[in-house]
Amino acid sequence: MYSSEVLIFDTGPLSHFARADWLGVLKAVVGDRTAIIPDVVADELRTGGTLDSRVRGVLNVDWIELRELRSEDEITAFATFSSLLVKNDRNRGEAGVLALASTMSAVAVVDDGAARKAAADKGIKLRPTLALLCEAIQLELLTVKLVAALADDLLATQYRLPFPPGGFETWANENGLV
Amino acid sequence: MTQAQLASTISLDQSALTKIESGTRRVSALELSRIADALGERIEWFVSEAPEAIVSHRNRLDLGAASPEIDRLIEKATRNVEFLVSQDSQLELPAVPQLERPNNIDEAERSASEARALLGLSEADPLTSASDRASRLGLLTFSFNLGPDAADAASILLARGAVVLVNGELHVGRRRLAFAHDLGHCLFADEYTVDWRVSGQDNSNAWEGRLDRFARALLLPHVGLGTSWNELRDRGYDLRTVAVKLASTFRVDMATLARRLLELGYVDAVRASQVRTTRTNRADIVELNLLVHDELDSSTLPRIYEQSVLRLFRNEVVSSARATDLLFDLWDEEDLPVLPGLPESAIWKFVS
Repeated sequence: MYSSEVLIFDTGPLSHFARADWLGVLKAVVGDRTAIIPDVVADELRTGGTLDSRVRGVLNVDWIELRELRSEDEITAFATFSSLLVKNDRNRGEAGVLALASTMSAVAVVDDGAARKAAADKGIKLRPTLALLCEAIQLELLTVKLVAALADDLLATQYRLPFPPGGFETWANENGLV
Repeated sequence: MTQAQLASTISLDQSALTKIESGTRRVSALELSRIADALGERIEWFVSEAPEAIVSHRNRLDLGAASPEIDRLIEKATRNVEFLVSQDSQLELPAVPQLERPNNIDEAERSASEARALLGLSEADPLTSASDRASRLGLLTFSFNLGPDAADAASILLARGAVVLVNGELHVGRRRLAFAHDLGHCLFADEYTVDWRVSGQDNSNAWEGRLDRFARALLLPHVGLGTSWNELRDRGYDLRTVAVKLASTFRVDMATLARRLLELGYVDAVRASQVRTTRTNRADIVELNLLVHDELDSSTLPRIYEQSVLRLFRNEVVSSARATDLLFDLWDEEDLPVLPGLPESAIWKFVS
């Protein structure tokens, strides 16, 4: 059902999977879909990767394509999203993801609030990290227990939801996600 | 920064940079980000047009002339203001009302009276809350410490609103004088001005001289100053005490007060000189029970500007990083409001 879909990944979601050693899982979740990172995300992975070799490893997998944003439309879109999100080297990746997602009519994989709002305002489809984790659970690649700590962290911080520690597991059990 | 230095800073071949500059090679997002960083500018500035007043100002400068720090800062303030106006429907800046340009000092005095009325002041009131009053006319006043060698103030008139930047290095009285002078520039439709020295001294430029007169009359209205002068003299205060009290009431520096008292005929040149050399000291503040003002203190942003940035942050239109950038890094991210939580049911947005 997803084969024509293109997923554009931001640095944060990829780092979550990489740090948990779940890049293989992510590959299976992506399945027939195309996974892309813009040049600015690759640069963030390189910089972040100097601290964590698992994050740098994302750059070596063959199922994630690297795309340079260079066309006039891409650069214009990148500038527009930069005006909302970027300061110096902060959030360049998000701006690149949203620029590429808007010009390719693709799905943006981002988690931060302002990036999600910008995507919604521009009609860009979103798939946050937790949605991909849930896909992995449904494909029986991961269990609720395995993702619980990361899910709790995402819920409490980036999604600002009132879930206490252990809240995701309880919610998943109650809502038949297992 | 030379092209070679820039190429080296952003790790790009100099020939590639030359091609980018000449438009024969398209720039990538990553290259553009690095160029923006190296030059201390924002990414979108390379794509969007600069405000018209800035473009025409640049065109008037000598090719290759160094742009002073105040130009860089007022451009940033202006671009930020235009960004906020484009994103925040609640920030509505009126077109700055325009006054007829005064041709002589009498007309400058009349213009100051008109300006005081626009600011909601009577003929006697000291100009209090200058920045807030001016913002109701569409003028957004910023103050940054640019050091002693920089210009005193600069202003840019926009289609809607105006931006005034005051050097916070100056003492409060001089800051207010510079502000009043540049308010005049905006009200008299000067598009872009940089004022190196706004002072009580004679200005060799006739137009700037009329602006100085306007500024003094705005801060020290004839009626209000005369009434206070007579009252204080009638109560038997000596010249020094009168000067200290007047400077405090009208929040001006002694050079401006002396000049004003002289031009209105309250003192002769000798007594004007005495006023000019008077210094308000700590004992005056206690014994005369003076209020100490820090108006337009270094690193002051207009209140309605700050409120607009916080609205955009609260509505998640801008990220926390961008919000602190708009606030000129005078705020830390911890200073920003805590965003409200979402209801539990919102989880469905994140799992499917």
